[in-house]
Amino acid sequence: MNNIVFEHVVKAYGKNVIVNDLNMEIREGERLILLGPSGCGKSTTLRMIAGLEDITSGSLHMRGQVVNNVACGDRGVSMVFQNYALFPHMTVKNNIIYGLKAHKMEAAEINRRLEEVLEILQLKGLEDRKPKDLSGGQRQRVALARAVVKRSDYFLLDEPLSNLDAQLRLRARKELVKIHEMYRPTMVYVTHDQIEAMTVGQRVAIMYRGNMEMLDTPSHVYNMPASIFCARFIGSPSMNIISCQYENGNLSIGDQMIRLAPMWRPIADACPSGKYCVGIRPEHIVLSSRPTETSICGTVKYVEDYGNRYGVYIDVKGEKSELIAICNDSVPRPGENIFMNIDFRKLHLFDAQSEKSLGYPEEIRRLNAALDFSMPDAQNKNQKTGGKYHESFGQYQCV
Amino acid sequence: MKTNNHSEIGWHMILGAIVFLMLVPIVFALSNSFKTLQDAFNTIFEIIPSHPTLENYRHVFEKLPFVQITLNTFLIAASVTIFKTITSLFAAYSFVYFDYKGKQFFYFIMLSTMFIPFTVTMIPNYLMISKLGLRDCIWGVALPQFADVLGIFLLRQAMRGIPKALIEAARMEGIGSLKIMRDIILPLVRPSILTTGIIFFINSWNEYVWPVLILKSKENYTLSLALQMYISAEGGTEFTIAMAVSVITMIIPLALYLIFQRYIINTFAASGVKG
Repeated sequence: MNNIVFEHVVKAYGKNVIVNDLNMEIREGERLILLGPSGCGKSTTLRMIAGLEDITSGSLHMRGQVVNNVACGDRGVSMVFQNYALFPHMTVKNNIIYGLKAHKMEAAEINRRLEEVLEILQLKGLEDRKPKDLSGGQRQRVALARAVVKRSDYFLLDEPLSNLDAQLRLRARKELVKIHEMYRPTMVYVTHDQIEAMTVGQRVAIMYRGNMEMLDTPSHVYNMPASIFCARFIGSPSMNIISCQYENGNLSIGDQMIRLAPMWRPIADACPSGKYCVGIRPEHIVLSSRPTETSICGTVKYVEDYGNRYGVYIDVKGEKSELIAICNDSVPRPGENIFMNIDFRKLHLFDAQSEKSLGYPEEIRRLNAALDFSMPDAQNKNQKTGGKYHESFGQYQCV
Repeated sequence: MKTNNHSEIGWHMILGAIVFLMLVPIVFALSNSFKTLQDAFNTIFEIIPSHPTLENYRHVFEKLPFVQITLNTFLIAASVTIFKTITSLFAAYSFVYFDYKGKQFFYFIMLSTMFIPFTVTMIPNYLMISKLGLRDCIWGVALPQFADVLGIFLLRQAMRGIPKALIEAARMEGIGSLKIMRDIILPLVRPSILTTGIIFFINSWNEYVWPVLILKSKENYTLSLALQMYISAEGGTEFTIAMAVSVITMIIPLALYLIFQRYIINTFAASGVKG
């Protein structure tokens, strides 16, 4: 069973705790993304799996065995480094087969594997070049080839696309998923790029200040974030988070009050601290010139043009922070009074004290489960998408 | 453009003057080594001798076991260079790539020995070599020089320039430290190894004080001791012979420099553009 299990894993340098009490299971053959801002401990977590970092306390299991003291070379792990770490004095070919040769693998088998990866990663004709003679995209593919050629049970990637331009990144993302589908190693991928996380991952672990905030499918991470941090980290522009009051089924935002939908009331009633934050994504706010029962009023402050859509910044009376809404057409003008209709199926409620989500009504859970294309089980995913590449950006789904 | 040209001419003049000053003693030695003592006194600054002679060179090879002396010097310099480079490489590797308690402390303690003058360590080293029975033996000259702080320092700096991810990538392949050293580190720090090697070789080749303490018999002499025989008070005034010895003494380091100059220049150029 090629899974990875973290049990109360802590990594600290002196008093500085980098990863704090991490408990997580990475399932066999899945693509798990470690996502988070710089310094959140995601790369350290990956390096602990690789065996490049010692574990301060807790235990790390691979194939059912504790591997805390197993050397990195004996873990059966391949890794793609952020800067690719290609040996500059070796040719592409020698870079790829260096590990196999060092382990005295038969020449025929080495050649067979080499030919295969060169073919898959379109590196034919570049075998005798040195890394300095390659473009960024080619280097990235050589690094990938070096990891793939080992056929390890575990495939670790540390921000492998961060040095590529936007177009190459898109192509490389597809290649990565394709390669994973071919060999199905247990893949752990570190990134701070939410699009990469949503498109490559079958599950996403969001990390923040050494703690794991959430571990779920990309769709759930987007639609049902576990905390204010997750809610803000995923989605661009990020989610509007507003402090509010809740009393007798009414939600007060600024100076205005709306009646909370009945499905939300048991959840709101169960808030431990009694202090609330409401979250709504900019793309889920519908702007209208006429009020409805679930709309709040505001004044347009300014409008940003994103090319394919507009970001409308709105001041709400009695609310300190401005809200942002996305609209595709009929853009309001600055100074105009406008109504923001809130769809309760797209609402998020958080405990303002702990900053954790208060949960979601059953109806919303069912709705999101039906929308979730990125099944955690890779086998299921293939059946569902008919083996075709499927990208989820949270707000959009492309097949 | 004009200003650039002017400043360039100025720099060339300064550099030309420096080259001239450095070349004068070499040309002086070369020219006078082909003169008789009489001619040398009469026309000491004449570059091309009017009556060139090989008498001085013949004298050197006839009166002294000169081939043996050159071989001694070469053996000492070569062994010192090889061993110093090997010990420096291993020590530098450990300081850069291994994690152990007190690593920084040991490094700074070791580095501080660079500031201890030779005269302080001379007597203890002499006593040690005596006890080992290596007095008047070329290995007695070479042995205390087999480890060197400067080499460790220079190679450590070179290794620190290699991205750690390269070593980690090799470790992920299950490659051991010795193989990493051979396959990854050595090719990448080769220019630095050659540069430090050349420095070690020339320092050892020119060494005078330590050999003079250890070596007694002429057949064990090094070139610098042979040279001293002709320029000291005991050596008398046979300065044309001294010039011939000087010329022979500089031939081997010069040849080595010519062979490896490409790497040396590369290393110094690289250290200039780094960072």
